[in-house]
Amino acid sequence: MTAERVLPLLVAVPLLGAALLVGAGRWLPRYTADVFGLLVSGGTGALAVVELVGARGEPGPVEWVAGWRPEGGSGVGIVLVGDGAGLGLAALISALVTAALVYSRRFFDEPPPGQAGAFPALLLLFQAGMCGFVLTGDLFNAFVFFELMGVIAYALTGYRVEEARAVQGALTFGFVNSLGGYATLLGIGLLYARTGELGFAQIGAALDAAAGGGDALVTTGFALVATGLLVKAAAVPFHFWLPDAHSVAPTPVCMLLSGVMVELGVYGIARLYWATFAGPGGVSAADAHWVLLVQGVSTAVLGAVMCWQQRHLKRLLAFSTIAHTGLFLTALSALTPEAATGVGVYLVAHAGVKAALFGCVGVLLDRFGSVDERELHGRGRELRFVGVLFALGGLALAGLPPFGTALGKALCEEAAGPGATVLFVAVSAVTGAAVLRTAAGVFLGAGQPPAGPPHFAPRAAVRGEGKEQRPGASERRGADEFGTSDGHDTASGPEQEGEPETTGSGEEPETAGPVTRAPDSMLVATTALLAGGLAVGCVPALWPHLAHAADGLSDHSAYLAAVFGSPETPPASAAPSWRVSGVLLDLLATLLALVLARTAPRITAGTRRAAWARPLRRLHSGHVGDYVACTVAGMALLGLLLR
Amino acid sequence: MNKAVRLWVLGVGCAGVAVLFAGAFRRLPEFGGSHHPYGARAVAAALHRHTANVVSSVNFDQRSFDTLGEQAILFGAVLGTVVVLRQAKDERRVPPEPAVVAPTVRGYALVSLPLTLLVGLYVVAHGQLSPGGGFQGGLVVATALHLLYVAVDYRALERLRPVPVFALADAFGDAAYLLLGLAVLVAGASFLGNVLPLGTFNTLASGGIVPLLNAAIGIEVAAAAVVLLAQFLDQALELVPRDGEHR
Repeated sequence: MTAERVLPLLVAVPLLGAALLVGAGRWLPRYTADVFGLLVSGGTGALAVVELVGARGEPGPVEWVAGWRPEGGSGVGIVLVGDGAGLGLAALISALVTAALVYSRRFFDEPPPGQAGAFPALLLLFQAGMCGFVLTGDLFNAFVFFELMGVIAYALTGYRVEEARAVQGALTFGFVNSLGGYATLLGIGLLYARTGELGFAQIGAALDAAAGGGDALVTTGFALVATGLLVKAAAVPFHFWLPDAHSVAPTPVCMLLSGVMVELGVYGIARLYWATFAGPGGVSAADAHWVLLVQGVSTAVLGAVMCWQQRHLKRLLAFSTIAHTGLFLTALSALTPEAATGVGVYLVAHAGVKAALFGCVGVLLDRFGSVDERELHGRGRELRFVGVLFALGGLALAGLPPFGTALGKALCEEAAGPGATVLFVAVSAVTGAAVLRTAAGVFLGAGQPPAGPPHFAPRAAVRGEGKEQRPGASERRGADEFGTSDGHDTASGPEQEGEPETTGSGEEPETAGPVTRAPDSMLVATTALLAGGLAVGCVPALWPHLAHAADGLSDHSAYLAAVFGSPETPPASAAPSWRVSGVLLDLLATLLALVLARTAPRITAGTRRAAWARPLRRLHSGHVGDYVACTVAGMALLGLLLR
Repeated sequence: MNKAVRLWVLGVGCAGVAVLFAGAFRRLPEFGGSHHPYGARAVAAALHRHTANVVSSVNFDQRSFDTLGEQAILFGAVLGTVVVLRQAKDERRVPPEPAVVAPTVRGYALVSLPLTLLVGLYVVAHGQLSPGGGFQGGLVVATALHLLYVAVDYRALERLRPVPVFALADAFGDAAYLLLGLAVLVAGASFLGNVLPLGTFNTLASGGIVPLLNAAIGIEVAAAAVVLLAQFLDQALELVPRDGEHR
């Protein structure tokens, strides 16, 4: 089997694994199902790595599925493009899914009856959807996998059905993302009507062949397709679903959503622009730059402002993801191979760091049944190791060398110019500081003890449902205490007034081992993820691969040539490396983050939730109607910006 | 946002989108033109592969990788529904109550049940020849079974429709599609490649791999629809809150 022939396996293997898990779910013990899921996801990742290494230095394998190679320049088939970006992301996706599966070994109290394999099967389907999305060279096929990702993500978000908020969060997620999907489909329809083609490269070639450059149809088509991708990427004003979904989704799911699914939206925009619209018949570089810059800057600023004001740890991390997506889009707006390299490095490192941070929060949730910064104040002292991981994650977000996030940030700053540099330093400092502030409060007990009840009263314990006090149940309760949104008064109220207290509430037995230790599987996965984020900055052998992937991604004509069977190697840009100016800016951001975090415990929650930001908080109301209205308005804005 | 603001934002947004579309539509190809590049190629390819139903040729041959994704969406949606509508800890199961059905309704449903089943199977079997195929026929087959619920009651349907068997069939159909693709790969051609004998045009045994993939989809869709409806019907008819009364 040649490297080309093997490409579809990256989608087919996880799908088959999911089918077997569901088919045999009735007879499988949970342990077997979990191990099987791990083998399948890990094996798929290994396959992606083998393909990636095998294609070293070359444009990579291109497979026409079912052998429908075009004849005379036009065909009917679907093409898979295993270039550096596609295969690299497939490997990243597989690594994260594998980590999430390891992490969730001890997480859920019990699977649905007769469906021991349901959760691993859903994760494998999710993996297949994401791998298909990054490998396909066909716009409609990308839409199909986009929808597959979506459907699975809704179900995973609503996994804890006993909790009304989980269902609400999943529903919001579903509404907004479906709306984005419809926009994408309408855009595909327009482009198909014009060109009679569905492939990225084929549409691009047809647009380039038509004289006169991009007209209203082309720009509208681009805007509509991009809307769906920007919804996935949680760019302002399409981002509302993300914090709501993250605050209710199980932690391993948050790892995947924040770590890689959201970032695939950014990848999708880059692929769409460069493969299809970067030619003379597409969207002008000035227009694309302008749109991405506006989207990126507004998203980064909003994400950072909202991140700082959160006390619900998962929401805090969710907004930091939004802030970083904004940074990715800002850097991407430079539209150069160097910018693509920077985003690639930043994105891969961010995936590891952000997933690790969620992993730490999951341990807290498992132990204390809460994800509230204030309720957890000082209670994390016993979890020293988790505290160290969490603080390191915060420093990595802020941009501490030699984490990969710092390298990526430095490269992005270099590519995006001095104006953007200010934004990069400020946004990464604020998001890092928010995490560091939490780390100091929760794991060291720094600052004032919080106002309100010193001990947290688990609601289920009050109700006397002792048997629910298992990890999954505590996860539910954690979300239960807080709204899925900022605008609701109940959600933003500092205390749960009238909440009866139960003494010793934090001591429920959840694990067989000593109570002060978190399950090994959770720690192993979290540590490995953080180490991955570190490795991106410390292992120079990775850098040429990332630069190569970015070169391929950002070259319109090389992509077309690869798809149409006459591969040419794009001019290689310099492999990324550390530079003094970048390191100094990284250290500046880290220092700023530490200073901010140092002052934070003295800031009361009242002032942290500043009055001037109240309208912004109220906008995140949890009301689906608001989100839909904003999404439609954003779609119009996007299209009009391109005019 | 209050209602007025929300409606304003939505209204302005819709107006903007309308402007976008108005601009784009004016640049579309003229209505009724004869230039259909993809259509022309797809029809030629379908005829070349001895598949009379061009839509099936697109679904199960030319763009069978799309169908792979689509059947995964269906499979994932059913699995997601099974997970989300599972019996929660605060729910208990009560036996469904027998229902009284008007004799005319019962008579009609019992007569149309076997007919519908036959039509469904026919539509699946002739997917490569005439409009329809696994997706459409599978749904008709699932509908046929549910006529039993209309004709008698939920208990009768439950006896005829063991959910675990259909869940297994759902997974089997899904796996069969993938395994067919893999078998071709192992045999030395591209994944999902149409390397089987193409048969005589416009007969049941034509189209190569198309009828096989079509059958796999038929099994999956029929089973998936049954499992999906079972989740919703269970939730509506059998599951009640643990501390509550019968709904």
